[in-house]
Amino acid sequence: MTDNVKYKRVSGEAVEYEVFARKTRLEPLHQVGSVVAPDDDLAAAYARATYDEERWVEMTIVRKDHVIALWSPGEP
Amino acid sequence: MSEISNLILSIADNKQLLGLRYAEWATRAPSLEADIAAAAMGLDDLGHSRVLYGCLEPLGDDPRGQDRESDPASLCALPYLDEPWDSWSQFVAANAILDTAFTVMIEACVNGSIEVLQHRLRKMLAEERYHFLHGRSWLRSGIEKAPLEEAWREAIAWFGPSDGDTAKLHKSGALSLGPIELRARLEEQLETKAPKIGVDWTTWDPRRRRTRPGAIDEATFAMLRGLEEKRFAPASAQKQA
Repeated sequence: MTDNVKYKRVSGEAVEYEVFARKTRLEPLHQVGSVVAPDDDLAAAYARATYDEERWVEMTIVRKDHVIALWSPGEP
Repeated sequence: MSEISNLILSIADNKQLLGLRYAEWATRAPSLEADIAAAAMGLDDLGHSRVLYGCLEPLGDDPRGQDRESDPASLCALPYLDEPWDSWSQFVAANAILDTAFTVMIEACVNGSIEVLQHRLRKMLAEERYHFLHGRSWLRSGIEKAPLEEAWREAIAWFGPSDGDTAKLHKSGALSLGPIELRARLEEQLETKAPKIGVDWTTWDPRRRRTRPGAIDEATFAMLRGLEEKRFAPASAQKQA
């Protein structure tokens, strides 16, 4: 194998995860961003690496396709 | 020199080099997320090395000599870290096998009988969890065989022979695990068995915890000594120095 090996980590089987966090116990979790990863483990590692600049007391990730939308902008 | 001080210096040197090698991939990894993770893990490991160097003084026996300023072979890091990595597979093998091997040893220190290590090293274990998740996930995606076997061989050699210093430290209670248990713990963590590889203990250097001679590349050694930074400093600053 060489350097030219194509690692399919972001296209194809990779999925999007929403990242939620909060700075104090009193505030609700809010969305701070998203990451793309092929599994939960890597998504957790990526979320922590990408969004750990602030002193969060809690951070959690959710697969975007597991979120059930009740309605969206523009819908009745 | 005390065996525990030598071991802590080896973890520190390895983490310092590992952090630098991770950082070299901060713009070369297969995705933007992996770039960021490489940079973040690099910073973590450089930070961990500083904490570990800081433990040498309270341990009462600092094995670092003057030769660390002039001789790259005085550093106690593994051959795997001697040169920059050419392939992502090398990165993943180091991330999954070597980084986890260092963490398993830190775990053995935290669960051992030396108070300063119990307290100062505990936080590293929480941070290392994300290195482990990153490495294991990439490992499962499949990588080249050669760096994987090399990383396993060096990790097992680094744990030490069955009658070496790690075994003695385990017997005395300073470490909660000996070399055999360390290897088993590493396999358990990675949910895989080490490949069938032999370690030539006759060439094992107990100070550097490696079986091969050699040293880190000149550029990395110059950077560690601050020579690279001085090269780019304004002339006025160089005069003051």
